[in-house]
Amino acid sequence: MKVEYINPFIESTYDLFSTMLSSKAIRGDVGLAKPDANPRDIMALIGLSGMARGMVALAFPVDTALNMVNRLLGTQIRIIDDTVSDAIAEMVNIVAGGAKAKIRTDMEKPIDLSLPTVVRGNNYNVDYPSGSVWLEVPFNSDLGSFTLRVTFEMEK
Amino acid sequence: MRALVVDDSAVMRKVLIGALSRANINEVDQAADGLEAVKASAESDYGLVLMDWNMPNMLGIDAVKAIRAAGKTMPIIMVTTEAEKSRVIEALKAGANNYIIKPFEPQTIVGKIQEVLDKA
Repeated sequence: MKVEYINPFIESTYDLFSTMLSSKAIRGDVGLAKPDANPRDIMALIGLSGMARGMVALAFPVDTALNMVNRLLGTQIRIIDDTVSDAIAEMVNIVAGGAKAKIRTDMEKPIDLSLPTVVRGNNYNVDYPSGSVWLEVPFNSDLGSFTLRVTFEMEK
Repeated sequence: MRALVVDDSAVMRKVLIGALSRANINEVDQAADGLEAVKASAESDYGLVLMDWNMPNMLGIDAVKAIRAAGKTMPIIMVTTEAEKSRVIEALKAGANNYIIKPFEPQTIVGKIQEVLDKA
């Protein structure tokens, strides 16, 4: 994965926070995601296919996920429920959708998105396909911390 | 006027229903995929449809084509993460009247709704 491919995903994360969440996401340093790193409490994943292949993941501690959903909906939800999972899934969909449009705008056929998947719990592992390189970016915001992970390759 | 909000995300449907309310549209039905949208639009007369693109069972773009093929002429606004120019063109050719890219600011979507309804 070329390091520059992470930038559209970072920009798209900024866009999500500034528009729908009235917040500002501040990124940390880009690094290689470690397979054994703590995946946090709730993670949303979405696949990219077609002219490119890859996957995008947003991983949140419970507090951040709740703060984001409550900001988005103006609610006071206190536990992770289907509404929170649904919102997190939509957020990874928005980040991936915005990023794929920024990566290449001259392609005849846009990159396709899969439907998002949400994993929740505090004792799970995420195993990556062998050979794939995932980059990870930590973020912070007034809604809490979270992590963006991306693996992405253009089809030859 | 009655509107139909089509999105597989219940949260996004809530956000869009809130935007419709700010545009003084309070009678709103919901559909979770394109198939449900086609069925609902055949059974009721809507003054406006907000349509997502990526959904299970039937994509929003195919639902727009099916609704137009059935002779329905209500304004349809695509509300989607599909931000490429080619997607916008495809949607407009299929019969969508306007296009809103997620993420959006609440006031943006209210303005687009009013703009589309003013032209209708």
